[in-house]
Amino acid sequence: MKTIFKIATLTLMIFAVSGYGFSAAKAENLERGIIGPVGSNVSWSGYSVIAQVPGAGLIPVTSTTTVFYLGFTAGAQADVSNMVLYTTARGSSTITAVTPITLGNISNPMIDLASATVCPVVEISTFNPCIVRLDPTKITLSALSDYYLVVYFTASDSNNNAIGLTAPQFQQSSLRGSYESGDETRLSVGGSIPSSLSFSNQPYCLMYVMTD
Amino acid sequence: MKTVCKFATLTLMMLAITMCSFAQKMNAPKPDTTTQNLVRGVIGPAGSNSSWADYSVFNLVPGSALYPITSSTTVFYFGYTGGTEADIGNMVVYTTARGGLTITAVTPVKLGGISNPSIMLGNTSVCPVAPSQTTPCIVRFDPTTLTLSPANDYYFAVFYTNDSNNSGISGTQPGTSQTSLSGTYLGGTDYTHLTVGQSIPSVTTRSPSFLMYVMNN
Repeated sequence: MKTIFKIATLTLMIFAVSGYGFSAAKAENLERGIIGPVGSNVSWSGYSVIAQVPGAGLIPVTSTTTVFYLGFTAGAQADVSNMVLYTTARGSSTITAVTPITLGNISNPMIDLASATVCPVVEISTFNPCIVRLDPTKITLSALSDYYLVVYFTASDSNNNAIGLTAPQFQQSSLRGSYESGDETRLSVGGSIPSSLSFSNQPYCLMYVMTD
Repeated sequence: MKTVCKFATLTLMMLAITMCSFAQKMNAPKPDTTTQNLVRGVIGPAGSNSSWADYSVFNLVPGSALYPITSSTTVFYFGYTGGTEADIGNMVVYTTARGGLTITAVTPVKLGGISNPSIMLGNTSVCPVAPSQTTPCIVRFDPTTLTLSPANDYYFAVFYTNDSNNSGISGTQPGTSQTSLSGTYLGGTDYTHLTVGQSIPSVTTRSPSFLMYVMNN
């Protein structure tokens, strides 16, 4: 009797451990991200950085979460006033949804680029950019929509005057981007992505869009 | 006793069924038994670049562009567009953190079990059709036991020995930037003996040379 219980318990343990192993998620690209080493562009106080994640460029991976990775190449602290993700119909500028984006559960984080826990290689540079993983967003990207990640760096802020953002060197990514002076994170559903913005180039700051 | 056995059997059956459902979830996408691209390779006919004696060729396979295919092997395919024999001094894959240039791992790459092969491009068993720009000879290297990760970048480095054979070879060099691969080349130094902690000597600034495809088989 005891032996049977022992065998049953052991079997259960093996199955439980195997189950955890099988269910472990692996981070995968949702979009072709920035390729290889990067350049840099500095002084972002008072600017909104807008990155387009086109539905037409999505890799066919289904994920209930989307994780954005930002790249920094210089500075000691990045002061973000707000971050959002706008959804539009594919190819349209009209906003159909606004999703808050957070880091450490807040939308206006101060990112300590001098901290080794944030940037393992403390002396960040184009050679060793600091890649910051934002909180996972509970949004399932659809090939029928376009998405715009907007990060507004606080104005009149000396920290932000000193920060450098990653600047892609090659045109191979599916991500596109632009930037504009002023806070573009307060648009609402029915509003439009500013027509003055051109998305012919790759984005500053946004490096990767992944499942985890 | 019988009750205990029944209970144990029932539990096992339930777990077996649960495991099947776990496995099905895990298998979407399915296990990759066919030959598939791990990254977007060179598209269509490629251009050509000649005279490679004493050059180190670097090709970047970026983690940020990897397809969601899990494979325990990675296979590199080189394209030759001219020459009769390519003499390789050494071949390795350098792993770096994604976007970084510091080497975190070095993996040997081989052809026919050796890292310094002489590829007989004039032999029809190697190149069924004599290599040219319109009919490149695609050479498949031995599978490496390397599982590519989106968190890393990979630099496939090949050094061509300083000899007359290599002065006469040409390699594919695509004119468009539709591939996710990119490359660079450095003359006069064998850069295939770098070690962990050292840096990739140059960022990739052009389309890939020689490297056409990166596949799971």
